[in-house]
Amino acid sequence: MSFAGAVKNFGAVRAVDGVDLEIGRGETVALLGRNGAGKSTTISLLLGLNAPDAGTVELFGGAPESAVRSGLVGAMLQKSRAVPRVTVGELVAFVARRYPKPMPVAQALELAGIGELAGRRVDRLSGGQTQRVRFAVALAGNPSLIVLDEPTAALDVEARHAFWQSMRAFARRGHTVLFSTHYLEEADAHADRIVVIDRGRIVADGTGEQLKPAAGGSLVSFDLAGRATEGLAQLPGVRSLEVRGDRALLRTDDSDATVRALADLDAIHGLEVTPASLDDAFLALTAPELEPELETV
Amino acid sequence: MLDYLRLEVRRTLRDVGFVIGGIAMPVMMYLLFTNLGGDDSGYKATAMVGMAAYGAVGSALNTGGGVAEDRAIGWLRQLRVTPMTPRQVVLGRALTGSVTVLPAIVAVLAAGGLVNGVRLDAWQWAAIALLLWLGSIPFTLLGLGNGYGLTSQTTGVANMACTMGLAVLGGLWFPISLFPGWLRAISHYTPTNRFAELGTSVADGHAPALGAIAVLTAWLLAFGSYAVLAYRRTGRTV
Repeated sequence: MSFAGAVKNFGAVRAVDGVDLEIGRGETVALLGRNGAGKSTTISLLLGLNAPDAGTVELFGGAPESAVRSGLVGAMLQKSRAVPRVTVGELVAFVARRYPKPMPVAQALELAGIGELAGRRVDRLSGGQTQRVRFAVALAGNPSLIVLDEPTAALDVEARHAFWQSMRAFARRGHTVLFSTHYLEEADAHADRIVVIDRGRIVADGTGEQLKPAAGGSLVSFDLAGRATEGLAQLPGVRSLEVRGDRALLRTDDSDATVRALADLDAIHGLEVTPASLDDAFLALTAPELEPELETV
Repeated sequence: MLDYLRLEVRRTLRDVGFVIGGIAMPVMMYLLFTNLGGDDSGYKATAMVGMAAYGAVGSALNTGGGVAEDRAIGWLRQLRVTPMTPRQVVLGRALTGSVTVLPAIVAVLAAGGLVNGVRLDAWQWAAIALLLWLGSIPFTLLGLGNGYGLTSQTTGVANMACTMGLAVLGGLWFPISLFPGWLRAISHYTPTNRFAELGTSVADGHAPALGAIAVLTAWLLAFGSYAVLAYRRTGRTV
């Protein structure tokens, strides 16, 4: 699938602002962003639910609609609720039969972890079970690409864990998976590749390890022990300084040089050097107004 | 698409509100209205057709309620990401409407024949059922228009208002001979009045008047256009 300069406006709001993206077969990709970053709109363009105002979106080398018509795509959409007055088995079987090469219904239910719920009415299930029914609906047709829009929103920890196990089992069968989330741990743990989207633009694209440097190397922290903080921000490698109580936190691109300089100042008390977390990377990437080098822009 | 029809018919019949409001109510009202007054066998046949028509109108409009509900819960959007085409979905819905009107028609006719002792020739029973079935199509389209054009809650209210209003105005509940002259004149142009006329004329032993068919056809076109416009406005982007 590919996006080239895709733009989508809703009224005055530019929900997707020039997205370029390619995803190959068999990849498991996370679309990571805050609420309102443009994840769902990107997905609706990909599925042909909306047409881009500018640019192009292609799925399996053609229009998204024709890929969907050919049964190459399954999706779990956000904000969809339980279908009333139908059993889990009836619903999944109905969707499966729309596709040219579906998987057996029992297998779809098994993969989604709801094998024992086949005879139950969908509108009488718990939130977590309903979510799994929606997952079963997405994979029932055995599509090459499965798109999951915030699949674990509103799930508790246990249900979330079970869900990701199901998703991985499906991905292992060679299917392409694209899921959106605003939980970076999920993106890091379950995707081969993370695409970070913010304000309708892609701001980073790579593995979790590749994204971490965006946070600005590592964090050096130490007890000030009454020392003044002047000059600390000018030490080698340091990008920013933060003081929490009696502790100084230096974000640095070169922790070795920073620590050496601190040693020269005889400032080493309770020193800690920690690598940037993915959390830091995410915050750094999606909050450009806090980025020192962009302040002058 | 037959699959979709089967799924939707099943969902409709599991709707307790539909079974009570769309099937049991017309039967009970029919038995009540015809057995409280005198023992006029002519009225029993006319009222039977009127109540069967009322039940059919309610059931046909109910299809729109289903559409509005499915839009609200995102099921129609989910169908758009399956290989089903929008045309199949809309046609499936229209067919669902035309199947789910049958229980009400059959139930009221059965109540007339079995409980109230209405006697008609076999061909008359068959013709009445068939005409009421075909004549319900405009109302299914009105329901679809409401379902695609309005929100889930307003669809419920609009359907109820349409059913009640058209039923009373068209003389499905009370004979229009009780109406003042001006109201009777209006009633002749309502779809419900002409819809029931299809059946009552057969019960009287003759074919429906051309006027009835002309008025119903006009309403068919009007409601059909309404459904198409409502669908164009929202249905394609549910």
